[in-house]
Amino acid sequence: MHLLLVGISHRTAPVELRERVDFQARGVELALRTLAARKAGGSAGEIAVLSTCNRAELYLACDDVEQAKSELVSFVSAFHEVDVKAIEPHVYDVADLEAARHLFRVAAGLDSLVVGEPQILGQVKEAHSSARQAETAGPLLNRLFHACFAVGKRVRTETNLGSGAVSVSYAAVALARKIFGDLAGRSVVVLGAGEMGKLTAQHMKSQGVKQVTIVSRTIAHAARTAETIGGAIAARWEDMDAALAAADIVITATGAATPILTKARVESVMRPRRGRPLFIIDIAVPRDVEAAAGEIEQVFLYNIDDLQASVRENLAKRASEVERAEKIVDEELDKFASWLRSRGVIPTVVALRQSFESIRRSELDRLDFKLSSLPPDAREEARARVDEITHLLVEKLLLTPTEQLKGLADPETATMYAEAITRVFGLDDAEPRADSRVEQFRPKRPSGQKR
Amino acid sequence: MNIVPLALYAAAFVGYALHFARRTVVSARLATTMLAAATLAHTFIIGMQTMQVGQVPVFDMKSAISMFVWLLAVAYLYTEVTTDERAMGVFILPLVIALQLIPAFKAGSGAHSAVLRGPLFGIHVSSLMFAYASFALACVIGITYVLLFKEIKTKHLGVFYARLPSLQVLDQMNQRAIIVGWVFLTIGLVAGVAFAIQAHVPSMLSLEDPKIFVALISWLVYSFELFAARRIGWAGRRAAYLSALGFAIVLLNFVPISYLTNSHKF
Repeated sequence: MHLLLVGISHRTAPVELRERVDFQARGVELALRTLAARKAGGSAGEIAVLSTCNRAELYLACDDVEQAKSELVSFVSAFHEVDVKAIEPHVYDVADLEAARHLFRVAAGLDSLVVGEPQILGQVKEAHSSARQAETAGPLLNRLFHACFAVGKRVRTETNLGSGAVSVSYAAVALARKIFGDLAGRSVVVLGAGEMGKLTAQHMKSQGVKQVTIVSRTIAHAARTAETIGGAIAARWEDMDAALAAADIVITATGAATPILTKARVESVMRPRRGRPLFIIDIAVPRDVEAAAGEIEQVFLYNIDDLQASVRENLAKRASEVERAEKIVDEELDKFASWLRSRGVIPTVVALRQSFESIRRSELDRLDFKLSSLPPDAREEARARVDEITHLLVEKLLLTPTEQLKGLADPETATMYAEAITRVFGLDDAEPRADSRVEQFRPKRPSGQKR
Repeated sequence: MNIVPLALYAAAFVGYALHFARRTVVSARLATTMLAAATLAHTFIIGMQTMQVGQVPVFDMKSAISMFVWLLAVAYLYTEVTTDERAMGVFILPLVIALQLIPAFKAGSGAHSAVLRGPLFGIHVSSLMFAYASFALACVIGITYVLLFKEIKTKHLGVFYARLPSLQVLDQMNQRAIIVGWVFLTIGLVAGVAFAIQAHVPSMLSLEDPKIFVALISWLVYSFELFAARRIGWAGRRAAYLSALGFAIVLLNFVPISYLTNSHKF
């Protein structure tokens, strides 16, 4: 059994194509059921679909990788009604442990557009739960997904890959949270009714601030912007000081050529506030707020360059954490690989148990003949006792060999042991043994990397 | 006996320092477990002493400091468990360890005056101990507030920005600790006066006694802090500085005055 991944992501395809192959839109469950019914590449029906705005990936357990690949691509084309030729150049595929590594890296946020973004782990969990609901998640995929959840969790707790805001809006919100704690109940004043101010205000609104007030030189313009934000109110330019006095966060984004908020003006606004902090975010160029205003006690002034510097710093910090995250991926991949290898010897274990069981059964049958002279009650009792004892005996005899076989880490040794057992116990007639398939689950490492 | 909790407090400090640096779940658990173990061991020792003497052991400096350290550890543990904020541990534990060194390595007088008994004396001492433990917490919270404030104000977002709770939360915690401390300081002082009157020892009420004088100064500082935060907007950084100043005065009363002068000994 092989693990195959076929997908399209932000690394290989433009947004126009990603939009067209969005499984969320057409229904993940429908896709899962349709695919399961197709039995692509000798699939036993183990399929999962990971669909986000940046990627559409299919994970499949199959026997014939090459055949399954082309079947999956044609399925994607038919399901989304997109020409195969339009999809093919953007599709990537990897099998077995490399497929597992890919999913682990995705769950860790290492493959995301913004490295370390936290939403992806939730989306991966969703992909698994959809597969479970559609009954397309079997032992292989269940194990694979649980292993990738462990990777995601470890990367989140053991590294700083996801820490620090990496966009200007998030940096502003993160700073506001560090000053005010919870943003619920806080009020925001936006100076200027332009696009930048509106976007930042919308972001603040989505973080649960109580009130957003738009102040603009033209009240009609302010009212229009307030309406598009939803739940915001407009205020006149003359009422700016009153609005500022009530605000916790001020976003300035006007097109004015000279500063609107001078130090003296901010000082007069601060006086009646009795030490209540004021966070001013100046995203206008040229600046709307005099730099000296930041010297006032309890005033925190950040301009667009300050926020961008913080974003750059956070991105650099994340980049330095990538190596630690990759190490976690490697560690978990090793664990997953040994689980897979232990699955490789399972046919031998099964054959061995079947062989022992058939010997036991035939001896029990012979015993029946010998017991036939006993009265029925005594015969039943004697047979039950012997059945129980022989069953326990077989279980105990097989316990250690089974554990030893499953515990073999090296695929060559596993194959060798399996062959020896097959020969010693004459399992050749019985079904399969540990085969060379074990080999495919040896972790591949990039050249030059030490184990 | 006091060495056991000292060693455990030191181990807890290592745990908190590790947690501050790495912020892993394991280090968080390790730190809290060590501190809980230290506090438990300390509780056991204080309990034993209480049974031995028949009253809360606060009759000499050694036992009083041990009691204070225990209260501080309990107060901090309570704050940690209720807020799930561990970043402050690395600041609190050095204070705990430094103070615990005194009962751990200094021989106590053992003897205590027969005058120093009764419920009023108990209220006087235990209220003051509790007040001082609250002020110690407020001081540490105040220091962390100033550290975070400086990072945000100067736009150098670093270690404290990544680890400490928000300024608002720190300010609230500081204010709460000051209110609790102030209430118990007031109760402790009033109980002290009532006890002195009841015991008919006028020297106990003398302002020339440095301990009483410094206690009154600290009461004035904390009263001003509470007033200033409400009336003139001295919240945030100024309140944090006042908390640190107030506790410096309290500490002055606790260690140098107790050991270098003969004040307040009856």
